[in-house]
Amino acid sequence: MRPFAFVVFDGTRLSLDAHAPGRRLRIDARCVEGEPVHGVFAHVCALPDRSAALRYDEPEVQQARRDALAWWIPMLGDELICLSTFALDASRCAGAITVARDPGWFADDPFARLFPGTVLATDVFCAVPPPAGPPIERYAGAPWPGGRFESDASVM
Amino acid sequence: MKPGERFPDLDLPDHTGRPRRLSELAGGDPVALFTSRGWWCPKEQRYMRGLCRLQDEFEVAYARIVVLSVDPPQVQSAFRAGLGARFTFLSDAERRWLPRLGLLETTDTVHHPYLPAAFTLQPDLRVHRTYNGYWYFGRPTQDELRRDMREITMEVRDDWEAPAA
Repeated sequence: MRPFAFVVFDGTRLSLDAHAPGRRLRIDARCVEGEPVHGVFAHVCALPDRSAALRYDEPEVQQARRDALAWWIPMLGDELICLSTFALDASRCAGAITVARDPGWFADDPFARLFPGTVLATDVFCAVPPPAGPPIERYAGAPWPGGRFESDASVM
Repeated sequence: MKPGERFPDLDLPDHTGRPRRLSELAGGDPVALFTSRGWWCPKEQRYMRGLCRLQDEFEVAYARIVVLSVDPPQVQSAFRAGLGARFTFLSDAERRWLPRLGLLETTDTVHHPYLPAAFTLQPDLRVHRTYNGYWYFGRPTQDELRRDMREITMEVRDDWEAPAA
């Protein structure tokens, strides 16, 4: 299964329609493949400009994910619905999205250090258990924290 | 718990209070699971600081660290933040799993905590190796943990030998 889905962001709106106008971004597929949670808020730390991207291996992208594991996810607690980085291709990150019940927390979003955040009301994202690690992506092109290594020795 | 046996799929709140299962935390990766007396024990504080140094390696090697104690989630959360840990703590404050795991430290009649122990686990929670940490030096060293993670990873990753061009 492909570990990502697409969202489109035009700077003010976010759409699951891959043909909507705007910038097409890869997102952890689990965020949109379930029962959507209504009346929540998305913090989209990304820009519609197609050149706005960083390598996943850049220290600032790695550190934002470490911070997400260390304190961002714990701070959000039950407010968190899901989060995902935005992947563009095998190596580039275009930012991240955090979906939560209360937008009051978004001022502290560590991913806003990468790209400025836009707060949007949304009804399309699903609750996903927060990642326990690792802070690096598993496959080139798979947006963190999505994907897992296939193994016969896994409890499914 | 002996090597080859399957560790129970613990269902407990994590340090944020969110319900978790051990298999979910493993997420298909090898796991180093530590039962811990609690935040108040100087030996635990020292050992956890060591684990925090090791977490950078676990994270890039696709392996997990999980700590299980009787501290309530909010105490674990504060302890975790103070340590600078990014790994998950599981809270058995109600001591639901403690008797079932047979890991009560009977010599501590104040806290009734977990006996310090370590289990290195396959992704399916089968026990790879166990360590009795009642005495501090019974706990796995960082090199022993690296060795165990290497052995498990070699076993479960089909591409341990890099694919040929």
